[in-house]
Order: sequence, then structure tokens, then C-alpha cells
Amino acid sequence: MTGEKCHVYLDGRAIGTVKDGRAFANEVRKNRRTGILSGEVNVAYIQKLNEVHINADRGRARKAYIIVDGGVSMLTGELKEKLKSKEIDFNYLIRRGVIEYLDAEEEENAAVALLEDRISKKTTHLEIDPASMFGLTASISVYPEYNSVGRHPLAMNFAKQGQGLYAINFNNRYDARAYLLYYPQVPLVTSTAYRSLKLNRHPNGQNFVVAVSTYYGYNMKDALVMNRAAIDRGLGRSIFFRTYPDEERRYAGGQQDHFVVPPATTDGYLGEHAYSKLSEDGIIEPEQTVAEGDVLIGKISPPRFLEEQTSFGVGEERSRDNSVTLRAGEEGIVDSVMLSETTGATKIVKVRVRSVRVPEVGDKFASRHGQKGVVALIVNPEDMPFTKDGVVPDLILNPISIPNRMTFGHMLETLSGKAAALSASQPDGTAFSGNGKERMDEFGKMLSDRGFDRFGDEFLYDGRTGKRFESQIFQGVVYFHRLMHMVSTKLQVRSRGPVQILTHQPTEGKPRRGGLKFGEMERDALVGYGASLLLKERMLDQSDKAEVWICKDCGDVGYYDHIKNVPVCPADSGNNLEKVEISYAFKLLLDEIKSLHILPKVKLKSE
Amino acid sequence: MAKSSDDSFKVATGEAVGVIAAQSIGEPGTQMVLRSFHTAGISSVVTTTGLPRILEIVDARKRPKFPVMEVKPIKSIEKNYEKVRGIWRKIEEVKMSSLIRDFKEDLKTGTLLLNLDKEKMSLYEVTAGTVASKLSKNESLTVSVEESDVIKVKFKGKTTAQTRTTFVNTINANILGVKGIIKANINQNEDGTFVIKTSGSNLEEVMEIDGVDKWNIYSNDMFEVLKFYGIEAARNLIANELQEVIKEEGFSISFRHISLVADAMTYTGTIRSIGRHGVAGDKESVFARAAYEETIKHFTNASVFGEEDKLKGVSENILIGKQIGLGTGMIKLAIKKEDLARIKKKEAKE
Repeated sequence: MTGEKCHVYLDGRAIGTVKDGRAFANEVRKNRRTGILSGEVNVAYIQKLNEVHINADRGRARKAYIIVDGGVSMLTGELKEKLKSKEIDFNYLIRRGVIEYLDAEEEENAAVALLEDRISKKTTHLEIDPASMFGLTASISVYPEYNSVGRHPLAMNFAKQGQGLYAINFNNRYDARAYLLYYPQVPLVTSTAYRSLKLNRHPNGQNFVVAVSTYYGYNMKDALVMNRAAIDRGLGRSIFFRTYPDEERRYAGGQQDHFVVPPATTDGYLGEHAYSKLSEDGIIEPEQTVAEGDVLIGKISPPRFLEEQTSFGVGEERSRDNSVTLRAGEEGIVDSVMLSETTGATKIVKVRVRSVRVPEVGDKFASRHGQKGVVALIVNPEDMPFTKDGVVPDLILNPISIPNRMTFGHMLETLSGKAAALSASQPDGTAFSGNGKERMDEFGKMLSDRGFDRFGDEFLYDGRTGKRFESQIFQGVVYFHRLMHMVSTKLQVRSRGPVQILTHQPTEGKPRRGGLKFGEMERDALVGYGASLLLKERMLDQSDKAEVWICKDCGDVGYYDHIKNVPVCPADSGNNLEKVEISYAFKLLLDEIKSLHILPKVKLKSE
Repeated sequence: MAKSSDDSFKVATGEAVGVIAAQSIGEPGTQMVLRSFHTAGISSVVTTTGLPRILEIVDARKRPKFPVMEVKPIKSIEKNYEKVRGIWRKIEEVKMSSLIRDFKEDLKTGTLLLNLDKEKMSLYEVTAGTVASKLSKNESLTVSVEESDVIKVKFKGKTTAQTRTTFVNTINANILGVKGIIKANINQNEDGTFVIKTSGSNLEEVMEIDGVDKWNIYSNDMFEVLKFYGIEAARNLIANELQEVIKEEGFSISFRHISLVADAMTYTGTIRSIGRHGVAGDKESVFARAAYEETIKHFTNASVFGEEDKLKGVSENILIGKQIGLGTGMIKLAIKKEDLARIKKKEAKE
């Protein structure tokens, strides 16, 4: 490489060559630190290619580091004192070349020390804090260094889904869907990032008293057992908002929609009862209880097609019902109604419906360590286990969920949460801010000083029998999210219901009250098992069974003439037909084959 | 304790063996990774393994990507290294190009001078004379030995291009061994016997070599095996190869499922692939074929030939909504005609 000229690129464009790339890059850096160049310029010497890349374009992710010069951190004790006394601020340090931002390319040239006492001769930069290696979501987590890596993305995902106080102005907002926790709590254990992001102003969970135990097999495989008393006192209780928007659309030809109580003459009239809760303007009033099928916004639209003229000239204009009804399977109270206009001066309405969601069997909860579970049993308080002090856990977590997932942070949070609750303190769970044994000792002492076991174990008494459990049970306080996945929005059953027009097979999906698909692989499973009648029931009787008249002479599909009371074959006009039970899909297939100009014939044979 | 009776291994009548085989192979198949080479150990013979090999077999490709043979010497010499080496020398292909150091060609006069490599010559135990006699099998060439390590080849083609092509062919000509065998290795088994493993397969010529046990040659080229050893051998080859690949991937699938696949592929007497052009495409039922792939093609063809669907298979009956003729659906209640008449008469009286 020596002797060759080093190419210099600015924002990816070659701008010239220098003799010594490394020295040139250092020179650029020096100028940046002294303020001659902008602090947004980054430079990297790439040894492998013998190139210098200077980047000053936008869109680069950059991260702040403390500059280390000659094995000494530029952030001296004196500066630290000044920072504490707020004499100087962060920007001052940037201007003075104490802290600088590196981009991904320049980072390759840097040797970053994690802690100040690890600075060596080669070190060029120092992390401001070890926890700053994490991104926004990850730095919120507590005790992450004790958890398995794979659990972090999970935990971050759950944190997003947690119900809480998502916005202070929720009352003025018309979000399509919104979840609001009744009594959100600030976690007992937090991290520096959590506090500095001021997340305690809109928390998304509650501190649960968690016992790590089994409960008569009801919390196997991530199932959770909850205390009814806690739920009745408001634990995990939340409100669900859904907004139903609508507008008076204008159509070509001067016609437009109208918000009214639709008259009984409209096409697709839903019946008097459905509109009974509307006020005169066709829009529902706040605080009205609504249930499935109730109309929230009455609206009529012009007909889809232009009508023929009758002999009396243009007939009375017909209208089509286009009302907004409450979603299937939902109920609630109209929270508020908003009326406004768009920029195009069309009237818009937004109706927000609220419903209280009390935790029930099937609702999902998760801790901050990627430990999720579904409520499987809500136990009356008298049947819950209790301690000698009368403490009853809010939630019973199965111990099997801990070891193979290696979420020891969860256990440490249980312990520290308990210590914090007893001593009214707020422990710090920032990543790499302490060492495990010291923490254990600290919390252990806090517990033992108050008469508890230093490992957080307690003897519990069975609420059913009153007998003490043989082994001690680990119990503490853990911050849990109530996730937005709730059974009440998802539960659906069907025995009979709507079918598709084309195939006569059951519809698909919850909004259409559909069935669950019995697909190809499920079919194979039944074939493989040899359950021929069960298979027929699934594929025919419970699906698209059809009775079709087949002509015994020509093999074509006929029909039954109910006036003359005879079956008719339209192909040969005969009456020699037989009623056959086939799937409607087959009848459709025969029709489609006919559309290919192929005439299929069905030969009948009696069995 | 299981009864050691053959009956306990028999399959019940009406069992959907095909579906069960498909599921039993398909489920672990989804976990197989698509990477083809992971160094297969010490032996330098390269073969396709894993999912690509399974696809190769199941698709009934005409030639495997890496054909491989395992040649056993006859019993009397199987422990004699020298004799086995003699066979090996006859098997591994040596081309002219690997015996020469360089060559000079004069296209005007049509002469090609080949400078032989003495070291290579002694390794393969050949002399300039034997090489020349091999080359002169091509009658259009005039071959003469100039020195102990120089061979002169004369050819005058009609065009320069023809001369040039002939010379290139001469340099790539087969001197020793069997055509198509890129590499051969002698491996010793634990019992002291020797086996020759080859890259490249050519059963036709290898089985004629003296000292080769022609009843114990193994080749992974199923069409070659079919040609020289018959359909039963090909069936066994398919089943064994599949079993081997699956075992190598760390799955255990009962041999009965695998052998059923091999049977389905070969019972017609030829090897059919599993798919549109083979087993699935040869189905009797129009509906079953149309349900699989190329729906319209099958219906139009059926209309041209006036095909009739007897509705005997599974998918046809599911389509029209009849009970399938498998498992519980295969048993039907039968009654004698005279008995039926008697019962009807009795009912009528009541």
C-alpha cells in the first residue's frame, strides 16, 4: 500500500488523492474538533481499500462519544463538576471538542473504551455511559444484562403493546382504536433512560405482586392465574375506545349522502329497532348504551345506478341505506360525537364508543423481560395462597417459565421490586450499572431488615385448605403490561352462518361471521386417518352441500319446476331426472367447464 | 411385548399409506436446509447431499449433478492392494492433456508436437509408444514417436478450423481408464478389503474390466442402473439413496414410507418423476389431474378424447362430495337380492 496514492471521497464522490490517508483523516478530525470544520463532518480511513471517506451528507445515524486524548478522557473532573452545577451544558462540551458524534464509518476507526478505567494507549474514545450502547426501546428495559438476548426484542415488542396512558389529551383525540389503563403506575424499578425520557409521565403497566408457583395446574405453559380481588379493585382494568368515522360524500350528478334517520322506504332498511337510538339529526347521542347491530350514524346514499324513467316521468328518488353500525360482537357506550367539515365542505362525523375491559380469562399480560402469558383462571381471593402477613399475590407465574428462557432479570426485578415496595425506594435497573452479587446483597439486606427472607422466598398458605405449602415460594413485585390483545375483541364462534354467493361455502373472517378454514393439509390428515364420514361432513354437509337434479338421459344439470311439480331438464326438455347430493363447488365446476365450451355429462349409477 | 409375527407388521386394509408416507416424509422435509455441500468427510469424492439430492431423485433427473460409483474387486483379490491398484489404473480416466508438459501446433502444415511429461508417464506407467498407439486408433491421424518423450501427430483437414478442432480433440483424448470417470480413489474398509470410489459414473465400461465384481458395483445414477441392472435395482437404488440422505440430515423416517415412494416411481417398469410429468400427471382421473396443475389443459384434452372419470380416487370424491373409498369408506354393507326382497315383503305386510 505504501507509495500508492490514497483516494479521498466526499459523500461518495472522488475529490482527489493524498499521500498518507491516515494522517489526512487525523488532520480532518483535528480541524473538526477545533471548530474549523463543522461538527457534522465525519471522516474514516479505510485501510483495506486505502481510501479516505468523508461524509457530510444527511441521514447518517450518529452517536456521541467522549474524546480520549493521549490515554486521558477529555471530560475532566473539573468539567464534570461544572456540568453538575449546570455551569456548562452538553452543547458546550461539543463546541469544546470534549464530546463528538461518530457515524458508522468513522466508528470503524475508533477504539472505544466502555468505562474510564479501561482506557489504554490505543483508546480514542470513551462511552458516555455503558447503557448508551442500546437503542431507544432497549435502554428502557431494566436489568437487561441478566436476560438472554433473544428475550429483549420480545420484551420491547410487548412494551409497545402495553395499555397505559398513551397521551394526556386522549379525551380530545379520535384515534381509530385506543386503549387506556385505569390506574397506570410508574414502575418501582426503572432505568436512567426511562427517567430521562420522562416515560413516568405516561406509564404503560402496573406493579403486580407476583408469586412464582404452580396453582393446581392452571398456570401450565405460560398460563397465568390471577386474583379476582385484585381485578375487582381495578388491577389491569382498562377502557377501549373505537372511533367510527363517516362523511357526507358527494357524487357525480349533484347527488350526495345525507345524515338522517333513514325512512322505512330506503333500500336495505335495517328495521325500526336498529335506528331507535338515533336522535333527529340521524346521529347517536353521547352516553347512549349501544350493542351489536345498533346504528351509530344514520346515512342514506343515492342509488348506485341511474333508474329507468317510469311512465309517470321521473319517479320518486329512491335512496340506499348506508348507515354505520357497531361492529359485530362489540358493545359499549357512546363516549363522544364530533361534527366537523372537511376542506371540501362535506360534513364529517366521528363517533367514539368506549367500553370497559375488565381482565378476563384469555387476556394477555407480559412483564418487561419478554415473559408473556394468558390468564387461564381468575381465583376468588379466599382460594388464593397467602403469606403470614396476609399478602395475597395478584398473579401466579409458573416457575417453569424461567429457567430455559434464562430471564434472570425477571427474578432480579421480583426481588428488587419487593425490596423497593417495602422500603419505599426506587431501585435503578440501568444496564451495567451494578454487579449482581452486590445487588443481591443490597436487596437481601433491605428485605432481612424488615423481617423477610433475603432471597425473597416466603411461606405461603393454601387458601383452599389453610395448610402451609411445604416449600417456600418466591414472591415479589414485578411491573406487568396489560397487552392490547384481549379475547373480547377476538372471540368468535359459528355453527351456522352466512355463505358466499359464488361457491355457497361459508364466509371467511370475523367481520363476516365466517368459519375456520378446513384446508388442504387438514383434509390430508383426515384422509390419512381414514375417517371418511368425518371428512364428508366437513367438506360437504357443513360446507356447500347442494341438491341438484341431474338428467338421467343427457347427464346435464336440471331444475325442479315447483309450479308443475316436476323436475325439468332444459337440455332435452325431458322430465327423467334424479335428485343428487353433490357439493355446490362441483356444480360450479361443471358450469365453468361449460364456459370453456366443453360439455360435461354426469352418468348416474345407483348404489 | 410385540408379537414377532409377520401379521403385526401388515398394513390394515384401506389404510391411506400414500398420504401417511407423504406426511411422514414431508414434515421433516420442511426442516431440511437447502444448502447442498457440507464437506462429506475424508473421501474426496463429492456428491450432492441434503434436499437438493432428494429433489434430484424425486424429480427423476436424467443424470445426477455429481455421479458417483463404488467399485468392488472380486473376492479373490479384494485384499490385494497391488491388484486393486491395477483395476484402479484402468478406471480413472487419463487424458492426453494431463500427460504433456506443452505442445506445439502448426496449422499450416497440420502438425502437432506433443512434449510428454516423464514424471506423469511413469506415474501412470505408460510409454510414448503406448500413448501413440492409443492416439492412432483415430484413423485420420498419422502418429509417430519422434523421441522418447515427443509424439508427432499429423492431420490435414479441409479447413484450418477443422484441423484445429481435431488437435483440440487429440489433446483431450482418452488415453487410459474409463471415459467419464474424473477421479477415483482406493479406500480400505475395516475388514482389510479395498473399494474404489469414483467421481463420475460409467457402468457399461467399468463392469467389463477384469477383476471387477460386476454384481457389486454401486452407482448413484439411477437411469444407468436401470439400463444395465433393471427396474428392481433402480427401485432399490432410489429407496436406498433417499434413506441415506435422510439419515445423513439427522432425521429418521421409516423405510416403509421411503420404499413406497420408490415403488410409486418404478412400478410401471420405467422411472417416473413425482410431479406433473410423472406420477401425478399419469393419474387416471381427469379431476385429480386438473386439481393438481394445468387445470384447463387437462379439461380441454379430456374433452378432445372424450375421457370419462370413474370417480375412484380420493380427490375426485371430495370434489363432488362423496364419501371417499378409503379407510372407513371402503367397507360397504352388502345384502343378497333375495334377502332384500324378503325384508321388503315383510315390511309391506307391517
